[in-house]
Amino acid sequence: MAAAGEANGGTGKLEFSLDVPFPSSRDATIALRSLSPDKEPRKGGISKLITVSGSTLSVRWSADESRILRVSVSSFLDHLSLVMETMEMFGPPVAV
Amino acid sequence: MTVVIGFEGSANKIGIGIIRDGEVLSNPRRTYITPPGQGFLPSDTARHHRAFILTVLKEALEQAGLKPADIDCVAYTKGPGMGAPLVTVALVARTVAQLWGKPLLGVNHCIGHIEMGRLITKANNPTVLYVSGGNTQVIAYSERRYRIFGETIDIAVGNCLDRFARVIKISNDPSPGYNIEQMAKKGSQYVELPYTVKGMDVSFSGILSYIEETLFSMLVEITERAMAHCGSQEVLIVGGVGCNLRLQEMMGVMCKERGAKLFATDERFCIDNGAMIAQAGWEMFRSGQVTELEDSWITQRYRTDEVEVTWRD
Repeated sequence: MAAAGEANGGTGKLEFSLDVPFPSSRDATIALRSLSPDKEPRKGGISKLITVSGSTLSVRWSADESRILRVSVSSFLDHLSLVMETMEMFGPPVAV
Repeated sequence: MTVVIGFEGSANKIGIGIIRDGEVLSNPRRTYITPPGQGFLPSDTARHHRAFILTVLKEALEQAGLKPADIDCVAYTKGPGMGAPLVTVALVARTVAQLWGKPLLGVNHCIGHIEMGRLITKANNPTVLYVSGGNTQVIAYSERRYRIFGETIDIAVGNCLDRFARVIKISNDPSPGYNIEQMAKKGSQYVELPYTVKGMDVSFSGILSYIEETLFSMLVEITERAMAHCGSQEVLIVGGVGCNLRLQEMMGVMCKERGAKLFATDERFCIDNGAMIAQAGWEMFRSGQVTELEDSWITQRYRTDEVEVTWRD
């Protein structure tokens, strides 16, 4: 997993990015579709974008405050690990 | 033949159940119990569910003697309830639905209780009293909606009982309400307390820390009012507080006076469980409903009357 945090001088927003490799594009897409439907609990101050490219799941956060960013990233990692554990225990996905 | 698996974790119980055409094949459940004097908080509850959910899922399949291929539909609680626990459960439901190639169904928790009550008791078209730690509603079915006739204007009756239990530090094992009931059986002194019924609705926050008699009398009154309004001869009590035998007894007296029938289920099904979500999912699935992944977000607020009840006339 590659991660980087930086303050964007222009907008003043904090940004964080995460790239997660999966064994296949199908696996990454399953994770994406499990993790993306729920909205952030906080109404404002944070947004994230989850995408898949090849077999990599990418997440990009943009937040006003570091505390809010930390909570969201931490939460996401918990959720991601649950999804991955589920895929490990009940996978591989059925043939389409 | 239709087999539905249901995932439930909106409060402190994590339950997964499998239903096949009205038969409960398995319904394992774990409860997050806090020390006396403490309630359960969302993040701790989510952590509890996270720790047990995959084990409970395995149990559900094993006890039913089924493989994922045998399942037709994956149902889960969309809401209402606590956010973090709801998400934890929805994540697993969405993931296995995709792994197994099965359609997904987001179920309203209250409707889960109602459909399980109808299945188990075979009540035809009852006035429903739904009472739990998170909800207090009087519901009647009419034209494709479960209409809310009356409800609490502040806190749920179970919440009131739970908070009372916390104040006097009663054990939360197996549940605070159960322990209040056992202690109340030994009581002999009735203490008159504020009785707050406002038309079809009730209010409990003003009488926090109190005895069952008053709370339950209020509920019996608003249930009776809804029955009179609908011309109903059946009452079904669902939700964790529905386990309370004193409530059932008091409701029974009112029903007898009206020549009505009272229905209730035992603790397996009135307390939150996975099979009730599977049962509501079974009804919804058979009437053609499905939830697309993008629409499968959970929601802490989800009124019982927001759902179109396509499976009843």
